[in-house]
Amino acid sequence: MRESIIIENLSKNYGGFLALEKLSLKVKKKEDVALLGPNGAGKTTTLKILCGLLSPSSGTAYINGINVIKERERAISKVGAILETPEFYPFFTPEETLSYLGRLRGMRERGLRSRMNEVLKLVRLDKWTRVKIEKFSRGMKQRLALAQALLHDPPILVLDEPSLGLDPRGMMEIRQILQEARKEKTVFFASHLLTEVAQVCKKVAIIDHGKLRAYDDITRLKKKYRSFERAYLKLTEATI
Amino acid sequence: MSEFEKLKIVTKYELLKQFRRKRFYGALVFIILAQVLMIGLYRGLDIPGELGYPDSPELFAIFVVSMSAFAVLAAVFFAGDAIASEFERKTGYVLFPNPIKRRSIVIGKYLACFLATLVILVVGYVISAVALVGIYQAIPVGILGSLAISIALVLGVLGIAFFFSSLLKGGMGATIATLIIFMVVSPIIRGSLSYAGYEPWFLPDYAGDAAMSTYGIDFSEIFAGFTPGGGMQGMMTMMPDPVVSFFVLLIYALVTLLVSIWLTKRREML
Repeated sequence: MRESIIIENLSKNYGGFLALEKLSLKVKKKEDVALLGPNGAGKTTTLKILCGLLSPSSGTAYINGINVIKERERAISKVGAILETPEFYPFFTPEETLSYLGRLRGMRERGLRSRMNEVLKLVRLDKWTRVKIEKFSRGMKQRLALAQALLHDPPILVLDEPSLGLDPRGMMEIRQILQEARKEKTVFFASHLLTEVAQVCKKVAIIDHGKLRAYDDITRLKKKYRSFERAYLKLTEATI
Repeated sequence: MSEFEKLKIVTKYELLKQFRRKRFYGALVFIILAQVLMIGLYRGLDIPGELGYPDSPELFAIFVVSMSAFAVLAAVFFAGDAIASEFERKTGYVLFPNPIKRRSIVIGKYLACFLATLVILVVGYVISAVALVGIYQAIPVGILGSLAISIALVLGVLGIAFFFSSLLKGGMGATIATLIIFMVVSPIIRGSLSYAGYEPWFLPDYAGDAAMSTYGIDFSEIFAGFTPGGGMQGMMTMMPDPVVSFFVLLIYALVTLLVSIWLTKRREML
């Protein structure tokens, strides 16, 4: 299987509002693809379906060849995800949270502990491991979200606006982590920040009103439309 | 890893979560104070004298060791937001995208809520048992049956709270809905049926009162004197059968838990 993610004719209807309309997309192994689009374009809906949080109205999706709709648990076992603006149990510490999630993902105690220290250091939360999350800022929670997504070293990362809520330094650090991660992982992430997309990914899928408008290399889009910004504006014209 | 292993992990961490919450310690303090108060009132107001019924460990137990109201309150406060909060507070965005069936998450949460409530309940029974030994130097055997009914009641209440928690958007709504069922709807139906001469054996709050009927004292003997006006007499002198009540409560627990699992599996994280 050459593709990590396959999306086939995916549609999602929220009681009359069509959030996704026959979206089809393939992401190859170790490819980094950004899902770009204005607010309400269907980015988050796509990622939620991929992670089994929403059921599609029609169509299907595969992760590593496993049907997400039919075999959700097996399909998402190789995925690390950040969706929306995740919240954590405020009474837990990052250590307890990661221990809980790591064990649910089948990690053994010994390996889990060293991996926890590794990812918490990576997102610069290593000095906060035993502090209750109720004391954390928005940005710190976002860092913890990235830590849990990377915890089990998944081959696929599905990320929804991973730098949301972070200060400029935090945004830079997250982008560096993702740039490093894309060398070995498939990164599929949603964003509406053109600079972030251009820095992290080589390929972009531009969606608008639930429809795929373009799916190409960023360099090719730049050439075709003279700049990435122009490409984005032209392809999402309907919403301007 | 098997689903059973995952279920144990969920139960362990959900229990840890319950023990970290202030409401757990609030419930613990509440039951200790309530038990001490009830023991004090029973002795201070000379309840047996007021009833015109000879004092005994069994009568004491009926008034002091029957914790159906506490069981309901504790269970509701632990379980009301168990499922709803995952959606309401967005913690489900971290929990649900994991290789675990939602069924295991619901059952794990249910078991954790049950164990937390059980701690509260057992503390109440231990205080009562200590008081019984201190005052009467005896513990009636019926206390075990009473504990069994109270445990079944907790399971039933948790099931109903989980049902509402899976159905409604907010944890507060689920908590209030469960309390309304137990404190308003069920007593109204119970009262009406009792006045009409029907035994409301199928109602959860009536079945919960069976925790008082395991001591071998007929309610009609003690409550006849307790309600001289006679208006409430029919309602208070009906005595729930402990065995029937136990199974009624277990059925409530099983059916509502199954519906809760079904609802949670279908629920989307919008």
